[in-house]
Amino acid sequence: MTAPRFYGMTPPGVGGEPLPGRLIVIEGTDGVGRSTQISLLKEWLEDEGYGVVDTGLTRSRLAGPGIERAKRGHTLDPITLNLLYATDLWDRLERQILPALRAGMVALVDRYVFSVVARAVVRGVPRDWIEDVCGFALVPDRVFYLDIEVPQLLPRVLSSHGFDYWESGRDDLGGDDVYASFVRYQTELLAEFRGLAGRHGFTTVDAGGSVVEVFHRLRDEIAEVVRGMEREPAAVVGQTSTPAP
Amino acid sequence: MGQGYLTVFTEWNSSPIVRGTTRLGKRRQLLTPMSFSLIHAADFANRIYSEVLPAMRAGAVVLADRYIYTAFARDAARGVPPEWLRRLYSFAVTPTLAFYFDVPLEEALHRITASRARIKYYEAGMDLGLADDLFESFRLFQGRILGEYERLRGEFDLTRVDATQTLVRQQQQVRALVAPHLAGVRRMEGGDVQEALRRSGLAGRYVEPPTLRSGGEE
Repeated sequence: MTAPRFYGMTPPGVGGEPLPGRLIVIEGTDGVGRSTQISLLKEWLEDEGYGVVDTGLTRSRLAGPGIERAKRGHTLDPITLNLLYATDLWDRLERQILPALRAGMVALVDRYVFSVVARAVVRGVPRDWIEDVCGFALVPDRVFYLDIEVPQLLPRVLSSHGFDYWESGRDDLGGDDVYASFVRYQTELLAEFRGLAGRHGFTTVDAGGSVVEVFHRLRDEIAEVVRGMEREPAAVVGQTSTPAP
Repeated sequence: MGQGYLTVFTEWNSSPIVRGTTRLGKRRQLLTPMSFSLIHAADFANRIYSEVLPAMRAGAVVLADRYIYTAFARDAARGVPPEWLRRLYSFAVTPTLAFYFDVPLEEALHRITASRARIKYYEAGMDLGLADDLFESFRLFQGRILGEYERLRGEFDLTRVDATQTLVRQQQQVRALVAPHLAGVRRMEGGDVQEALRRSGLAGRYVEPPTLRSGGEE
């Protein structure tokens, strides 16, 4: 256990006491399969006897509903949108993630500060600015980046919810060609994620494989991250751990 | 406006897109120093991009009731690091003039408590736990804010106006300082209606603005 570290500033109200929990982040573009993996990881970690809290982008009680409302209007400048994302991120850090970490739980986070930064930079927001503003973000114990190529992403997106206005970058790129917009936006976004992955030492996982393959890779890596944490004894006895096949 | 300058007014905490979230946070007391700061910055950003910048490009005078200095003073009084606040608001337009209406703490407390039925939770800094009593917390918190303003006056070019003077004196002072900056600012096309009113010694205070702008054709 080490004292909490932040990317930029130490936010007010956060003490320097060590956090016994683990912060595990899953990053990746829309449609890459993050939420499926989070669901599987949560179940597995709970079965292993760990307390788990899962949270994701725009799920804060404070800013989540406002972001959804604002995005319906389609007329938001990128600075305001990103400050709403930053508000959402901080609120979840303060109310969900930090309490879980203090209580010795695993916080599984579906998109963290990196998604905010990547989307902002693609929309022309100065990188230094958004990184400084989000400098209150706690440095995670591990960040997994689910990597995919646009051609592999297309069938997944089309077979689920189709081309979303924002995930196609239409607020930024405009125009009527939704497909071209999606391809261009996602190509830029993936390049941005890969840059972040290199600079911040993410563990990159090829998301082109099957759900089970990706899960096994994540599970094996996370088993290392949570090693040494306290867990529920009954679960340890009742459930024999099954490592990778 | 009486001088015919194209004037746009923007008020703290009034973005139609962000205001609902701030209100939710205040009502449910969900705001902490950082979220309070971030949500007000979002509100400010939305007004900069949708009100202030377009109006300035069009040649208008923008009057802002509270600006970044409000956040610098208030958020720093809540313990938010000043350097981070400067970065957060670095997208703000540097004002041509910034006035700071100064009153001593006791006078500020007297004015607010005399004109209001009750002091609000965040206004009193109750989220900081400075005191259990609302009024006592308000006094301590406002004292901190005034201290921050003193620091800001040194850091930024804030023009101090002694707000214990009469309103007339304050207006004279402010108008004298603003006037030299108005050269070249666009004036509203009054058309013949406004000209006729002026000749009759009337301001047309109750006439709908479009009538004045279009010369009475609408």
